[in-house]
Amino acid sequence: MLETFNDLMLGFSVAFQPEVLMYAFAGCIIGTLVGMMPGLGPLAGISLLLPATFGLNPIIAIVLLAGVYYGAMYGGSTTSILMRIPGEAASVMTCIDGYAMTQNGRAGPALAIAAIGSFFAGTVGVIGLMLLAPTLATFALRFGPPEYTALLLMGLFVLAYMSGGSMLKTLAMAVFGLLLGMIGIDIMSGYTRFSFGIVELGDGVGIVSVAVGLFGISEILLTAGNQDTPQVQKPTLRQLIPSKEEFRLSVGPIMRGSLLGFMIGIIPGSAHIISSFVSYGLERRMSKHPERFGNGAIEGVAGPESANNAAATGAFVPMLALGIPTSPVTAVMIAAIMIHGISPGPMLIQEQPELFWGFVASMYVGNLVLLILNLPMVGLFVNLLRIPYAYMYPCILAFCILGVYSVSNSLIDVWIMLVMGGVGYMLRKFGYDLAPVALGLVLGPMLELSLRQSLALSGGDYAIFIERPIALTMFGLGALLLLLALKPLIFKSKDWRSKVGLEDAVD
Amino acid sequence: MTDPAENQSPPAAKPGLKSDQLSGLVLVVLAIYIGWLNRKFPVGTLADPGPGYVPLLLAIGLGLIGLLVAVMGGRAKPLAAIPWPEATRAFIILAACTVAGLVLEDIGYRLTIFAFLVFFIGAIERRGPLPTVLVSGGFSLASYFVIGDLLHVPLPVGPWGF
Repeated sequence: MLETFNDLMLGFSVAFQPEVLMYAFAGCIIGTLVGMMPGLGPLAGISLLLPATFGLNPIIAIVLLAGVYYGAMYGGSTTSILMRIPGEAASVMTCIDGYAMTQNGRAGPALAIAAIGSFFAGTVGVIGLMLLAPTLATFALRFGPPEYTALLLMGLFVLAYMSGGSMLKTLAMAVFGLLLGMIGIDIMSGYTRFSFGIVELGDGVGIVSVAVGLFGISEILLTAGNQDTPQVQKPTLRQLIPSKEEFRLSVGPIMRGSLLGFMIGIIPGSAHIISSFVSYGLERRMSKHPERFGNGAIEGVAGPESANNAAATGAFVPMLALGIPTSPVTAVMIAAIMIHGISPGPMLIQEQPELFWGFVASMYVGNLVLLILNLPMVGLFVNLLRIPYAYMYPCILAFCILGVYSVSNSLIDVWIMLVMGGVGYMLRKFGYDLAPVALGLVLGPMLELSLRQSLALSGGDYAIFIERPIALTMFGLGALLLLLALKPLIFKSKDWRSKVGLEDAVD
Repeated sequence: MTDPAENQSPPAAKPGLKSDQLSGLVLVVLAIYIGWLNRKFPVGTLADPGPGYVPLLLAIGLGLIGLLVAVMGGRAKPLAAIPWPEATRAFIILAACTVAGLVLEDIGYRLTIFAFLVFFIGAIERRGPLPTVLVSGGFSLASYFVIGDLLHVPLPVGPWGF
């Protein structure tokens, strides 16, 4: 415990450096704005800002990008509450009761509770990250290629089981992503695969161009032509203060949402989206007056907003401790760190303590900055929402081209982005979840390499995967989840998605 | 003895292809195409997989899942029920982005983005000339200044020096 405290102090000594503090602040502001803009979710925001971090030191780069990430989680709630437009997917549930509160003249307390819940959940998440990541990293030092193979496969099964939509469609998208990851030079044999003679594809398909295409461009293709300039309420500072009753009703949902969100955040998939749905379902089920939900129940804002922020932090645990992304956002952040020659994984905390602990400390600071900034400045931020979409979406498109081109000064990335934008648009029309594609793209080369390394180690004997207890346990868990996921398909029973109303919402 | 429920005629299912049936079949076709592309790479053996091994496994997996999606897609919404009100505009957006990509390195970032925004704001969205020029010019110059000059990200410059 004392060691953790000392490490955290080291982190604060890094986070309080004026330059780091300034970038954390900038990240939070940019993130808030990005989160508020429909079509620019946290992933597109981080991807577009990535080229700008190339010249920064790795600590500042990750602090800036993390600031954008959790800033966007805050920002998304503002549009949900004031306009019933989720700035990013995790805020969908906040729309229901948040907007109902706005219609009831209680927009201010809804915004305040969302901000307080997000702050509390963010802090719980950072504490969890601080305590769990080093322990997990120490444990992961025992991992060899067979354990990584088992872990990655288990992750894919968890992804399918916990996906927001149809399990089969999620698996299809994960496999499609894994296949995209096969493009490029095979490290073990030197063969260049599926490159169609394009030299630039030898390095594989970049996560940024795929992510911006799938999530940014496809969103614009779906929403273009929307001519409405929405009416926006602008609550004053005084109107932000919740009543005693609203505070009392929010305490439980904030605490439950924080814990639930953090635990779901560690799991692969669209964790921040799922956590908000599960939290909403849980709060409605626990409420003595479930009929209030949908008509402006503050618990329906407090729970989901806390959960999605805690999930955003929880996703950093496997990313930093194992080097494995569990969401598209962490996949892009891993790319950002690797550009600086640093490999996330079990050795990161030992080899780069300033980076890990500086990052943790900056998240404490960032959460506080967001709480202090966002509430008083909410009136200023909502002005952004008054910009007609006719001006906004062409500028977002221009940003997408600019950001993707800048990653490696290559037009190939722009073409990949456009193709993936078209593919993403069609897939969304047909009800497919896109997050598994981005995850599969990053996990594909890892999975293939660890599988072939394991077989090289064992001389081609597949028993290596069952002789090692950690690998066996993970395979067992993966198989169990696969069976659980198949159960509703075989027995036509309802699965957990139907119970929390997630499938309908996703479709 | 029949169940009374069976005597009631079920709601007539709308004929025609369902959305999941089509998307499942597309996945199957994609899987076959990948498998065909993969023929160039040695698959190796189970004990010693080659560069074509994992892609082949994945192509088979994608094909099987696609088949399942298609087979189980009978209850999905009909293909005709998917609305496409934004399709024309979506096509125009992709085409305009493609043109912007084609000329970006030849005429430079600022001019490309200026023309790109003028096309969208002025021609597609039919906004007045003054706001169109102000937003397009302001955005292209300001974004170049922030990303190119302040953050030192190299951006293409045209033959006229901007």
